[in-house]
Amino acid sequence: MPVRFLRNASELADVSWETPLPVQVANAKPVPADTLLVATTTVTTDANRDLLGSTATELPTLDGCGQYRKLVWFYFRAGADAATYRVLARATDHNGAPLGAGWQEIVPATTLPGGANSWGRIEIPSAGDGYYDQYRIEVQRTAGSNYVLTSKIVGVR
Amino acid sequence: MSAERITRREMLKRLIVAPVGAAALATLPVREGSAAALQPYYEPYFVAVLWEGRTRCDSLWRSLKGDVVPVLPTVQGTTPYDRLYWTGYALGSAPVNVAMRVWARAVDHNGVPLGNGWRAIGQATIQTPPQRWFRVEIPEGHWDEYRLEVRSATPRLVYSRVIASQGYWKE
Repeated sequence: MPVRFLRNASELADVSWETPLPVQVANAKPVPADTLLVATTTVTTDANRDLLGSTATELPTLDGCGQYRKLVWFYFRAGADAATYRVLARATDHNGAPLGAGWQEIVPATTLPGGANSWGRIEIPSAGDGYYDQYRIEVQRTAGSNYVLTSKIVGVR
Repeated sequence: MSAERITRREMLKRLIVAPVGAAALATLPVREGSAAALQPYYEPYFVAVLWEGRTRCDSLWRSLKGDVVPVLPTVQGTTPYDRLYWTGYALGSAPVNVAMRVWARAVDHNGVPLGNGWRAIGQATIQTPPQRWFRVEIPEGHWDEYRLEVRSATPRLVYSRVIASQGYWKE
């Protein structure tokens, strides 16, 4: 005996490969993006200085990011002097220890877009998915004088 | 003239699939209106209405809310959303020629903008025959606040809504 179901308001249909029973996603919920970091950084000529101001290269700027498909870095730069940014990433084990020393460079030193008192937005990674556990984001001034960079990083699932 | 009773959800669906008038854009991309266009990455999609109402357009750049104060946002709390869509139509029997532009900014944990001013996301010119639907897609998501401004050399009333979409995380 065929199983029938109400396909729409007025049509009964037999269950078949062509007309399967309607289903809907259960236990799904919208997940908002999370703010991971809000920081001000003085952009200097120091190599390896990250957004937290640290030059200790083994320290991550962000940890516990494994659930995020993408990070969105918003910033407001007070100065126009040329600067570059670099993004490093790596995975950790179950105890939170990096799988190995060093980092994978996912964005090599790249010019930080924008002029004085301008806003910027950078997606990390720019293409594809992230899901790295830790990130280190470094900025370095390559000309001119120091200035303040105000950043906000949002993790998007 | 006939009328039908529809739910709010159904109305939202119709707005999303409403036909789009011609829009010459300087920087903002515009897509043909269809539900499929809203699902480039995820399915199902979560769509929220951030604002809806009437805007009196004149020669000044006004927020959709009507103000001419550049520091005020039109919508706030938009961090979760991948993409915003502005859709609506203009009243009147004359062809529509409304300019719009979009600004965005991020705020800190206290809701204070990270800096002065806004980031210019893009601008568009809505040019359609009278009483035709239009839709503009605002591509840069996850900013905390947006300001959508409109102006028209010929005063117009525009009914519109701003919707935003985000993905579902399937547990």
